[in-house]
Amino acid sequence: MNVGLIYLLIASLLLLLSAVKDIQKTKEALKVTGKIALTVLPVLFFIFTLMGIISAFLSREIIASWLGSRSGVLGILIGELAGSIALMVPAAVFPFAGILLNRGASYGAMYGFIMTAILIGVTTLPVEIKIFGKKFTIVRNVLTFVLLFFMGLIFLATF
Amino acid sequence: MNKLVREALLYVFISLAVWGIISIISPEKGLVIGKVAYGSFIGAIGIIIGVFITIGLIQVWVSPQTLSKLLGKEAGWKGLLLASTIPIFIGGSLFTIFPLLKTLRNKGASIASVMAFIAAWGGKAPLLPLEITFLGWKFSVLRICLIIPFAIVIGLLGEFILEKWEHHDEGNTLIENRN
Repeated sequence: MNVGLIYLLIASLLLLLSAVKDIQKTKEALKVTGKIALTVLPVLFFIFTLMGIISAFLSREIIASWLGSRSGVLGILIGELAGSIALMVPAAVFPFAGILLNRGASYGAMYGFIMTAILIGVTTLPVEIKIFGKKFTIVRNVLTFVLLFFMGLIFLATF
Repeated sequence: MNKLVREALLYVFISLAVWGIISIISPEKGLVIGKVAYGSFIGAIGIIIGVFITIGLIQVWVSPQTLSKLLGKEAGWKGLLLASTIPIFIGGSLFTIFPLLKTLRNKGASIASVMAFIAAWGGKAPLLPLEITFLGWKFSVLRICLIIPFAIVIGLLGEFILEKWEHHDEGNTLIENRN
């Protein structure tokens, strides 16, 4: 059974349903899809290559000792720090975390990596400060980082 | 659009260049890279395209603007609860979310709601099929379920800390002047 095919089928059905209801809106939706594809697919190509490079050069032992269950609580922190500075679109974060998981990283560390990659960004900091102010930005980012650490512990304990 | 194409080509070019150089130095490693990259790509391409189509549909049928209107109407606990759940289903990047929240804030949404909104937006439900493929459904389900309490705590605690901080600074004109 191919999950990708099933999901593609569901998406196509939704698209068809949307086209029947409102063809203009559906055209707009496809335009958005095309723009996302053009932005994200090349990045994914890059990430997939990077995943290959990691597989070829970083041994299981290295990844496991930095991000694996052996590194335990520290692994969550390393994952969070890496996620905070990672310049990655969310669509690329999941495949990337997946390969690290396969190579021996822990679920807790990957949770920290994924969530900080989505919610904390070096590039978004100036924008956030400009819109919400310095204090808001500091409180939100620090609080997110700290809270995610404790959430990571839940994942570390669960898996 | 031109800029998009240029950036796209740049990513592809850099990837191919790095892969090429490694392959010349060590064909063995090059083969491993190719295998992993190709395998991940084939395993995910159907889901990726499906996700892109879904995000496009969500964008036009349930736009962030529509959702924010819904949020703007409710204040207090109900507002916080909505802010901790609805954004889970929104796409976009932080760059598109921040200006939207600025508008919400001007319309009277609380700090707690704004912080909860950002945290809940990290739920990323539109990407769920991709997440399940690469990290398994147990991880994905647990992550999505925990996002709601996570957002509520961030909202309440964030507002509390920020208000304390601002209150503290109000009594301290020295720091105020320096800012």
